[in-house]
Amino acid sequence: MRPMRTVDSPGYARPLHPGAWWLWAIALGAAASRTTNPILCLLILAMAGFVVMARRSRAPWAYAYGAFLKLGLIIIAVRIVLQAVLSSQSQGIHVIVDLPQIPLPAWAAGLKLGGLITWEAVLIAFSQGLQLATIICCVGAANALASAQRLLRSVPGALYEVGVAAVVALTFAPQLVADAVRVRSAQRLRGYDGGRLGGMRRTAMPVLEGALGRSVELAAAMDSRGYGRTTEEAVGARRLTAGLVFGGVLGVAVGLYGLLDASVSGWLGLPMLGAGCLGAAAGLVVGGRRTRRTRYRPDPWALPEWLVVASGIGCAVAFFVVASRDPAAAVPPYPLDIPQVTVLALVGALLGALPAVLAPPPPDRRAASAVNAEPATAAGEEVAT
Amino acid sequence: MTTAAPPTRELPPLLRLRTRSAAVLAIVSAVGLVAYAWPFVVSPGAALDTSHGGDAPWFFVILLPLLAAVVVAELSSGGMDAKAVAMLGMLAAIGAALRALGPGAAGLEPSFIVIVLGARVFGRGFGFVLGALTLFSGAMITGGVGPWLPFQMFAAGWVGLFAGMLPRWRGRREIALLAAYSIVAGLAYGMLLNLWFWPFAAYAPEVTYVAGDPVAANLHRYAVFWATTSLGWDVPRGILTATAVVLAGKPVLGALRRTARRAHFT
Repeated sequence: MRPMRTVDSPGYARPLHPGAWWLWAIALGAAASRTTNPILCLLILAMAGFVVMARRSRAPWAYAYGAFLKLGLIIIAVRIVLQAVLSSQSQGIHVIVDLPQIPLPAWAAGLKLGGLITWEAVLIAFSQGLQLATIICCVGAANALASAQRLLRSVPGALYEVGVAAVVALTFAPQLVADAVRVRSAQRLRGYDGGRLGGMRRTAMPVLEGALGRSVELAAAMDSRGYGRTTEEAVGARRLTAGLVFGGVLGVAVGLYGLLDASVSGWLGLPMLGAGCLGAAAGLVVGGRRTRRTRYRPDPWALPEWLVVASGIGCAVAFFVVASRDPAAAVPPYPLDIPQVTVLALVGALLGALPAVLAPPPPDRRAASAVNAEPATAAGEEVAT
Repeated sequence: MTTAAPPTRELPPLLRLRTRSAAVLAIVSAVGLVAYAWPFVVSPGAALDTSHGGDAPWFFVILLPLLAAVVVAELSSGGMDAKAVAMLGMLAAIGAALRALGPGAAGLEPSFIVIVLGARVFGRGFGFVLGALTLFSGAMITGGVGPWLPFQMFAAGWVGLFAGMLPRWRGRREIALLAAYSIVAGLAYGMLLNLWFWPFAAYAPEVTYVAGDPVAANLHRYAVFWATTSLGWDVPRGILTATAVVLAGKPVLGALRRTARRAHFT
């Protein structure tokens, strides 16, 4: 058996691979997509929030979960207003309030303003909105936990150039805001205090010119360090890439047509689409081989990463089993009943919360800021062979 | 190192759109359009209509990132040199910073001006990648990555692509053309982007997607939905971008073209 490495230990402080956080969050979202049971949705929401609180770093994006929670509240509110208050669908028998109704023009038939509002309509709208909000918040958990710049370092080789451009963008965007503040305070020192519109223009143009000048300097610096030198690609490999990408995309298009049209035979649908996706993905991999690069300090994928992904998948599997075995617990048929909760669903939700102890704790603030500064050099780290 | 500006008025595009890339872009764009508009084209009894009824929108949420990766890789495989990468990164940084300042508040999308003007100067292939990358970096900075991101990236990519394909007018006509395009693009962007979550929505029957209904009926319901919910955001977005183009278009275009000439070293 392989000896245990330092990176395998859950106690060793290091940022977890961002891909692991994303897979875990997507699995939790998939679990939430199986149920409209408000208790289960709230459980998933709480578990994701618990993991975020336990394992987030102190980077600026680590506070994204709160913003996603607010977005979730807006989703639920809009849903209730549109579905329970404005819709003239049959609503149920338990009336909350009977508002005076305002007649609407004919083109808006089906809408109503005022009228009966019932508990059934409000509760159905609430639980459906809560499901969507839970899925969105799972994505928000990934936003809060995973560093975008670290994720960009593991893009496939075919996306290398665009990945570098994205790193450049992420590195310079905060600097541009600082530039704008600097330009504005310089103008204030010179005694300029014009209107808002003129002020905008006077700030924007120097910032833009500065950014453009910097891009030329950056390009020259990258050129002089041998950026973009690619090995000569064999004709066969190029044709293989072209064939895979082109065939794959065509397969996706044909498969999609098969899924949308009822009159074509079954193999044109999902199988064709799957083959097309595989072809396109293979094209990405093969196309990435045209440049061979070494990675500077690659993020390890060790035991904690596997455990985090496994806990997410375990949660999703539990919810899929509940949805197929016990539909009444996953999608409560009658909104006014207290929703049932099965043991399996509880176990699944708890499985999803395990990364709070399984994932390594994030490094402290000083180490975290050093890590954040490091991808700025990513543009120059390439070693061409 | 910097050579004198070439005598030609037209600068070569930073990212050459080869025939193969253009074909892949066309097919992927068609698939992307279906990802928005599938509620209108799905036929009753088809696989997406019945067995995957509630899951069809998620299906496209999974499919689109792969397609976006493929088309961006394909567009950049023709050899993106350091200048294209640096310019792309810097313009996307400006767009992303603008997005971080006003992240879609009241539908204002200030990054559109960067996408439209950058695509105008550096060409359509660059425009598509610029649009997609601007939205991507903006979402990364603000922590706004979600199922909506691939849809936004495609729509913004198209905004850049078509901005790079506009007729080559110069002077005042160019500014007027770009301003008019900005209004159209702002409206079309909003109209497309509502579509990705429209089938999720079970609102009032008059504005909700009904699987299996005739196209015209669903189109009418969508039009009512768009007019009552989103139009108030889309019109200001178009008008704001157009105003910005009229006010700042000339100096910004000038700065971009000057940089393109300065960067014309090899």
